[in-house]
Amino acid sequence: VSYKLTLAETESYLRKVARACGLDWGIAEEAGKAARWLAAFKLPGPETLLTHLQHLAGQDYAAFIPDCAVSPWQSSPGPLCPIITGAALADRSAQMLNGKIFQLGATAYPLLLAATVGQAARCHRTVFTTAWAGVEVSCFENGLSIDGNRDDLLLSQVAAVSCRQNDLASPQQLPSTLAYAIDGDIFKRIDELAFQTYAPATEESRAGAGAGLTDND
Amino acid sequence: MPSAAEFRRPPEVVMRLARMGSFFQTRLSFMRSLLRRLKREDWKFKRNLWAIDEQGFGRAVYTVYGPERTYSLVAFSHDLPDHMRSDRVIATAWDATFCLYDGIPSEADLDRLEQNVPKQEAGRITDSELSLSRANRSVRLWQHVIEALSAGKQPEREQLEAVGYLVRTTAVYGSGKFGAADRLTIAERPEVSGPFQAELLSVWLTRAFSLDLVEHIARARGGDQAVGFDPGLRRRIGVGNSTGLGMAPFLINHPSLLNNWMMAREEAIARVRSLPQAESAAIAEFKQHFEAARFNRSQWHSEHPIQIEKLKSLSADLDLMAQYIERESLAEDHPWDRFYRWAEDNLSLEGQEQLVSLLLEPYGELVDGLTQCMDADEHLSFFIDGAMLVAELRDIMETRCQWALRVDYDHPENRARFWYTSAEKLEPRVGERFQESGAEYELPLAIGYAIKQMHTSLLGWEDGLTTAEFLLAHPEHRHTARRVQNLVMHPYAEIQDNVIAADMLPIDILRCKLSFFGATRFDPRSDRWVRICMYQDAPFPSELLAAAP
Repeated sequence: VSYKLTLAETESYLRKVARACGLDWGIAEEAGKAARWLAAFKLPGPETLLTHLQHLAGQDYAAFIPDCAVSPWQSSPGPLCPIITGAALADRSAQMLNGKIFQLGATAYPLLLAATVGQAARCHRTVFTTAWAGVEVSCFENGLSIDGNRDDLLLSQVAAVSCRQNDLASPQQLPSTLAYAIDGDIFKRIDELAFQTYAPATEESRAGAGAGLTDND
Repeated sequence: MPSAAEFRRPPEVVMRLARMGSFFQTRLSFMRSLLRRLKREDWKFKRNLWAIDEQGFGRAVYTVYGPERTYSLVAFSHDLPDHMRSDRVIATAWDATFCLYDGIPSEADLDRLEQNVPKQEAGRITDSELSLSRANRSVRLWQHVIEALSAGKQPEREQLEAVGYLVRTTAVYGSGKFGAADRLTIAERPEVSGPFQAELLSVWLTRAFSLDLVEHIARARGGDQAVGFDPGLRRRIGVGNSTGLGMAPFLINHPSLLNNWMMAREEAIARVRSLPQAESAAIAEFKQHFEAARFNRSQWHSEHPIQIEKLKSLSADLDLMAQYIERESLAEDHPWDRFYRWAEDNLSLEGQEQLVSLLLEPYGELVDGLTQCMDADEHLSFFIDGAMLVAELRDIMETRCQWALRVDYDHPENRARFWYTSAEKLEPRVGERFQESGAEYELPLAIGYAIKQMHTSLLGWEDGLTTAEFLLAHPEHRHTARRVQNLVMHPYAEIQDNVIAADMLPIDILRCKLSFFGATRFDPRSDRWVRICMYQDAPFPSELLAAAP
């Protein structure tokens, strides 16, 4: 059974899932945006992100801080986190405008990284291309192009990724605004995790809201 | 046009909760800009379906036809036992439920919607719907109106004006909530791309539905004896709204949007204040609106101690303003600026903001265009300039965020509250940090405290390092850094008060937002819950718009 999530809901749910899995709100916002952006192109961003975030849960953030002073970037002991690294790349995206090509080492779910960096494309009114294995994903101000082997899009880990500015003219695909169909069981898991960011009711919280007066007037 | 910049009130004056909690609707408010557009663009109106039984239960469709698109309010009227009537978000049944359909719904659409809209949050709507809402009757007025009209009499004006509406809406959901179309779907449609235009269109049509429904029931009950409303009396009925904490975080979660609302409003005031003279027609119009404001004050009641005091001050302020109008020239020597500066020195915040609202009234041509600047591309303010040097980041905080930095958060009263989402209600709530559990679920809404924490974390960082380097080491400040950088281009983006202080009043945030909607008769029912009136005295669809064929 599939469930239809609006793009606004996709962003909101995945932001909360990221928070529930241990990311700070500010970086969780990046995760939500990436999921929404991919869903708008009917790409399984929400599902991929869920898998990645569940893997992240309970681990120390410090282990995922990329060493940006070396090339390629890397973290230890595991592969680079696409959200944390993607945000770090977005923060350095102005360097790509001057021709800099960022090289990354082993990276988990590079599609998520492409989407996270891609958020900066709109602000710079340019195109950022992320490449791994046999595929290149280009994020436009308002669109997306995928070149190469689409089978590589959803790889869970790759040995190397590069990220650069591109001068492509127009995207192959424009985003849809329609709701995104997601598997019912996967949605259930997303919903459960998002729910973990909500505070359980207490006697005090029950007493606090509402007018405390009759509405039957 | 003379330069208005020097007359603009700075953020540190405007963005304070006490002032925001004294705002009045203005001619830039979203209800008013919506109705101006419908009229200007010659929209048409038709009640396309009225399948309501003698008891008043069934479905109805109200459609407005614009130059390019049509929108329909789909209404379901239900039999609700009195004991289930609650305005709170946790309610599960209502007197009437609604959605705004994108176009004209088919019979199949109506059947689908009937399975979902009455369930509200527990149902599911689709990309074809733009909003979801519900309303409960004002029991006291509803009964009175039916009894009067069915007996061939007009309702008592006094009783009618004391309440001001027949139905009270609560949540009006839009923008991708519960399956509704995403905001981007309407982003390129000028008629609904402005803030809350789709939601407020649905509320305007809901008001018409509530009047039609009460007249329909009165006719069914009274037969030939029954009468309809006298048109003048009919106009006095608006539509109510009852709302609480759930709405409050919106203004904090949408800083660039808040900035654009405030900038438009402040620019409008500055433009009027910058006028060297006032024409006699403008003065006459001002006086007319001033009298209307006095009348509105006489109609505005509240039982809440805070609001009772504020209304007292407003009454006194209006008297002082009347004397000023008698005494001073409103024609020469920057009359409106003089008036405003006098108000700053002599009136309470209620009076000052009432005057602000009145000053805009005669100057539609000068200020109405500003409503086009009240939208925001929030994506642009999401971007963090990682290349910004630590020195600059620090400088922004020290020049623009003293309101945050000067607070001593070691004092428990300055950190007394926390905002969270309730697992039980799925809505934002405010908790007491030192008395309740749950602070670990705190939402990132305490911006002042967060700015102070970031400022402290930055102490050891050298000026020449970058924001990107800082945030890699301190991801906990990422949300705050985004907002601090945003202040450079959006100086009115942050509420310059401590929203976790023990004495913070959530109703101040609510009133600010609701005033931008165009609400009147703000009536707090607690420090975090408020009733208001919308569209009172506004024309009905059949009055404003020609009939569609």
